[in-house]
Amino acid sequence: MQVYDSAIAQTPVISALKGVWEKRSLLKLLVARDLTVRYKRSVIGIWWSLLNPLFTTAVMFYVFNTVFKAKLPDGQSFLPYLLSGVLTMTLFNQGLTMAADSIASGAGVLTKVYVRPEIFAFSATISSAINFLFGLIPLTVVLMIFGKHPGFKTPLLAVFMVCMCLFSTGLGLMLAIAYVNFDDSRSLIGILLLALQYMTPVFYPISALGPHTQKVIQFNPLTSFVAVFRDVFGGNAHATGGEWITMIITSLFFFVLGFYVFGRKWPKVVAKL
Amino acid sequence: MSTDNVVEVTDVTLAYRRTRHRVSSLKQTAIDTINRRMAYEEFFALNGLSFTVARGETLSVIGRNGAGKSTLLKVLARVLPPTSGRVIVRGSVAPMIELGAGFNPELTGAENIMLYGTLLGCDSKTMQGRIEAIADWAQLTEHLDIPIRAYSSGMVARLAFATATDTTPDLLLIDEVLSVGDEDFQTRSKIRTEQMMNSGCAVVLVTHDLSAVKSMATRAIYLDHGAMKASGDPQDVIDAYHADLK
Repeated sequence: MQVYDSAIAQTPVISALKGVWEKRSLLKLLVARDLTVRYKRSVIGIWWSLLNPLFTTAVMFYVFNTVFKAKLPDGQSFLPYLLSGVLTMTLFNQGLTMAADSIASGAGVLTKVYVRPEIFAFSATISSAINFLFGLIPLTVVLMIFGKHPGFKTPLLAVFMVCMCLFSTGLGLMLAIAYVNFDDSRSLIGILLLALQYMTPVFYPISALGPHTQKVIQFNPLTSFVAVFRDVFGGNAHATGGEWITMIITSLFFFVLGFYVFGRKWPKVVAKL
Repeated sequence: MSTDNVVEVTDVTLAYRRTRHRVSSLKQTAIDTINRRMAYEEFFALNGLSFTVARGETLSVIGRNGAGKSTLLKVLARVLPPTSGRVIVRGSVAPMIELGAGFNPELTGAENIMLYGTLLGCDSKTMQGRIEAIADWAQLTEHLDIPIRAYSSGMVARLAFATATDTTPDLLLIDEVLSVGDEDFQTRSKIRTEQMMNSGCAVVLVTHDLSAVKSMATRAIYLDHGAMKASGDPQDVIDAYHADLK
């Protein structure tokens, strides 16, 4: 028989992870719900969700092609380079904001039924990862147009995706607390995300920047994510060992930090919902 | 286990800081910080409550609006952790609080039964086997495969009620006895609620319907501003409540 005793102290992070694991069947249903709502009910569902990254790519291609084309290293084409960058950023942005939103706007459920809110954040990042997989179709087409193919490193894509899920779940949990605490934090976060996007080499190669700026850009963990994705899928860039390590360490760090902060703040925040 | 108490609440307090402004925003917080005037006040939603509910007992909670009745249910449902004090709940909990939270209008009836049942704590394999029985009871079998946005509000309420009352819990939390749907369904849902209440589980019932308290409750407590003002025999507690209202 299950016993709830409020006096039993929760181990930070570990209790939450255990709780999520015990409810993995719910996690599956939540992911299925997201995907069903997005794809099954409308024929253009998949293409609709790809419209945003594809359109962004088209605009950026038009704007930046003439400026930056020559600056890419030899043997690199701008379009696949750009598209893979945009897909990575879409995966990150979508996972992050959906994770935060699912909790901040989940008051209806979360204040009536006992469910670990972290499950909602996970389901959001997992469904945006599945979304991302669909984005690989147009990217493959673009690669082939430029006489390339995804390459033999493709299995390593799994490492990239797991890292991105952990990273955006952790950040999304902290963001959810901000969303609930401050009504106007959404617009501010939007600006910060835009700044982060420009600080990531999506439409420019890092080599085009001065040495000082390069250091700043390298400090951004998303720079490593973009480099790794370009490397494992299509060979549009070379990811150094340092970038692999940065990606793995930062995602684990923010994952644990997010669970820790959320676990401490949520009991205080939930009463306000 | 020696004790028959399903619920043990010991000196439970739930306090939170709430801002004097209706909404909290970064802008307002920044202004307040600069002016060194933090507009917070400590708000006691529950204040030093202690009680137990044993198997087979129905505890009724009465009090004015905002007295903390619904908050108490949420604490028992594990949604709100107490600020201090201790809550022990032994066994499964069925919260009948605003049914249908978590329903998605784009999903079909069957998909919503699965999702809602799993949210309420059933494992998904058990739920899979219960879909037909639930739909049958809600008289919605023919509509099971269409998205519930096409349902009438009464149909959604029936589906929610049927799903939430499908299991026999150890603790039943009721926020106002529900009567949903048409007259026939109202009678059936009332009978089903009463059956659940009489199934030997512990019940905590929040209601403004004092005649229901008299007929259903074995004990009652009266909350005022989060604190317990009276407890014991339902009639005595109702009298105490009435005396305060005058």
